[in-house]
Amino acid sequence: MSTSPFANLSRRQILQLAALMGGAATLAACGGPAVGEAGGAASEQATDWASVTPAKEITWWSNHPGTSKDLESKIIEDFAKETGIKVNLVTAGANYDEVAQKFQAAAGSSNVPDLVIASDVWWFRYMINGQILPLDKLAAHLDFGTDDFNKTLYNDYEFSNSHWAVPYARSTPLFYYNKAVWEKAGLPDRAPKTWTEFDEWAPKIQAAGGVTPLGLGKGNSWTAWWFCNMLWGAGGAYSKDWTMTLDTPEAIEAAKYLQKIIYDDKSAVVTAKDQVADFGAGLTGCTIASTGSLTGIIAAAKFGIGTGFLPEGAKGAACPTGGTGLAIPASKSPEQQLAAGMFLKFLTNAKNTAYFSSNTGYMPVRTSALEGETMQAVYAKTPQFRTAVDQLAGTRVQDWGRVFVPNGDKDLTTALEKIMLQKGDPAEAFATASTSIAKSYEENVKPYLKA
Amino acid sequence: MSTMTPPVVMRKRRTPWKSWLLFLLFAGPNVALLIIFTYKPLIQSLQYSLLQWNIGSATARFVGLSNYSNWFTDPTTANVVKVTVIFTLVTVAGGMVLGLSLALLLNRKLRGTGMARTVVVAPYVLSGVAVGLLWLFVFDPNFGVLGAVLKGIGLGSPDWYNDPSWALPMIIIVYLWKNVGYVALIYLAALQAVPKDLLEAATLDGAGPFASFRNVMLPLLGPTTFFLSVTTLLSSLQSFDIIQAMTKGGPLEGTTTMMYQIYQEGFATGRAGYSSAIATILFLVLLVITAVQMLFIQKKVHY
Repeated sequence: MSTSPFANLSRRQILQLAALMGGAATLAACGGPAVGEAGGAASEQATDWASVTPAKEITWWSNHPGTSKDLESKIIEDFAKETGIKVNLVTAGANYDEVAQKFQAAAGSSNVPDLVIASDVWWFRYMINGQILPLDKLAAHLDFGTDDFNKTLYNDYEFSNSHWAVPYARSTPLFYYNKAVWEKAGLPDRAPKTWTEFDEWAPKIQAAGGVTPLGLGKGNSWTAWWFCNMLWGAGGAYSKDWTMTLDTPEAIEAAKYLQKIIYDDKSAVVTAKDQVADFGAGLTGCTIASTGSLTGIIAAAKFGIGTGFLPEGAKGAACPTGGTGLAIPASKSPEQQLAAGMFLKFLTNAKNTAYFSSNTGYMPVRTSALEGETMQAVYAKTPQFRTAVDQLAGTRVQDWGRVFVPNGDKDLTTALEKIMLQKGDPAEAFATASTSIAKSYEENVKPYLKA
Repeated sequence: MSTMTPPVVMRKRRTPWKSWLLFLLFAGPNVALLIIFTYKPLIQSLQYSLLQWNIGSATARFVGLSNYSNWFTDPTTANVVKVTVIFTLVTVAGGMVLGLSLALLLNRKLRGTGMARTVVVAPYVLSGVAVGLLWLFVFDPNFGVLGAVLKGIGLGSPDWYNDPSWALPMIIIVYLWKNVGYVALIYLAALQAVPKDLLEAATLDGAGPFASFRNVMLPLLGPTTFFLSVTTLLSSLQSFDIIQAMTKGGPLEGTTTMMYQIYQEGFATGRAGYSSAIATILFLVLLVITAVQMLFIQKKVHY
């Protein structure tokens, strides 16, 4: 009596339906990773680069660091004129993290670019995932002039005797101050040399104009970066190689200093949204921001901008490097990789490095560019640009616990926010982060490292 | 009679076969889409939840149920669950109460109700990211409209961005603002379907406005309330856009719901297996809640 088609299904039809469902399950099993032993980094391929013809067209995923889209397009245009190779510039995100998320999600598909942004907290993960090519042989073949790269900046990308990226938009945190506020407070026209000096100056700034002396930023990919300064300056570190070292008295002391200036002296404040905007609006007298923000800060400010090194701690100067390099995906054909390598060489040659640097504030990654005419002219006109380069001598490579472990930066940010925003117990906050990072290393990194 | 029998048998065989074809023709495309975009990812996510897999890597290791045990023993889990429960309860209950109140207002024959209806529903059709970014301007403690208003009446602005106990209310307010129009719209339709004679009868029996609302209107709205409780609960537990645009789960993970954690673990920290395990847990929670709603609450609803 029923008109429902299901009511009249024969056994065969039910079997067909079952087969359809089974098919769906089989379909679902396709795709995704191969399950088995851990893979790890790509190895130096035996590609004979001399016998490869470069591809005619490549794709570059960028977030245009320092609002550099026009600069990147101009360099691409010049490259096409010189070589006939077309580079498709794709805006793959608003920041390094967004580009990285897309790049990782695209893995295994046909949408992988030929050249990709690889920031300080991401390149290592690309590497252990086997997503990027070790560049040494390709660079040698193309005569890259890697000796001319700033040593610190180039060696940031070195692991197990290979270089996995080339420096591009590289930065350090920088101390920015409001010259008008400084003058009103009767301070000398320079950044405080040490945090102790900052502590002496802060009451004068507070007395002079009702502004909070120092504005500090929060959030992922940021907090744990500038805190390197206070941490290392106090003689501490996030980690030594793969061992977390946040339980040392030096690390605790650095965190306590941070709490002191926020809660006791009230000479520092954690910004609600953007420490650069607050500084630009005159809410704070000084701030710590990336060198990449320099052009933007100078352009937006209604007052004189001074720049200086990050203040020294008890154990001396301490400053991390950061920003991004560029990497070539391992899954592309040698033709694509060669063309990408050629573009990489062009993009980071002395002329283009100077062009990019002088228009953004990122550091010139080549020594020859630094000493070249363009940059010297820039330094003569806008001496603030010089600060980051001078500071570079005192920088060091970041602690692995922050940049090489998947949730390293996130866990450290949570700990530091607990310390800054809630006056949480530093020892407890650090211990939570350390446990989590150590565990993540065991699970997510260690199995993929080749002995 | 005997000549009639064979065709009947033939037809009996043929008709179901034809209906089966017809079924495939109409349902096939939908079923295929469901299989590819819903069931396939669901099964795949179950499979991934048993792996240690750094997203982006071509290989992964089988780790059994350790992703699940890691989640249940992780110190941050309690907070994520707390945030999820508060967010969901307040947005669902608050949305229903506010939505019904708005619908009752809009159901009155007053001047300007047409305009008012449009205004109430408008936020619902806006993109969550745009809504989130706009509200960031409103809440900004230094430069925001809200801060200025509070200052005007002699109050300071709460630290919406830095204090987790204010950030969550902020997200909830924006979520309610955006979604209450949907609840109001559905309730309004239901209110207009309430038979006038029942209300008149109640009035004749001496029921005041509150009594007739409580004893006549509310029971008649039962099926709508049930429908809304299911749909708003599901969408609240899955909300992502406003959190991503406004707080990115912070400060201090104070606005990290399970849904947001899935995104963060899967893409920001790249632990795809762990993220899949959380997704599976959330799926099971949703399944149980929906089943409970279907089995127990539906029975109490009078149609």
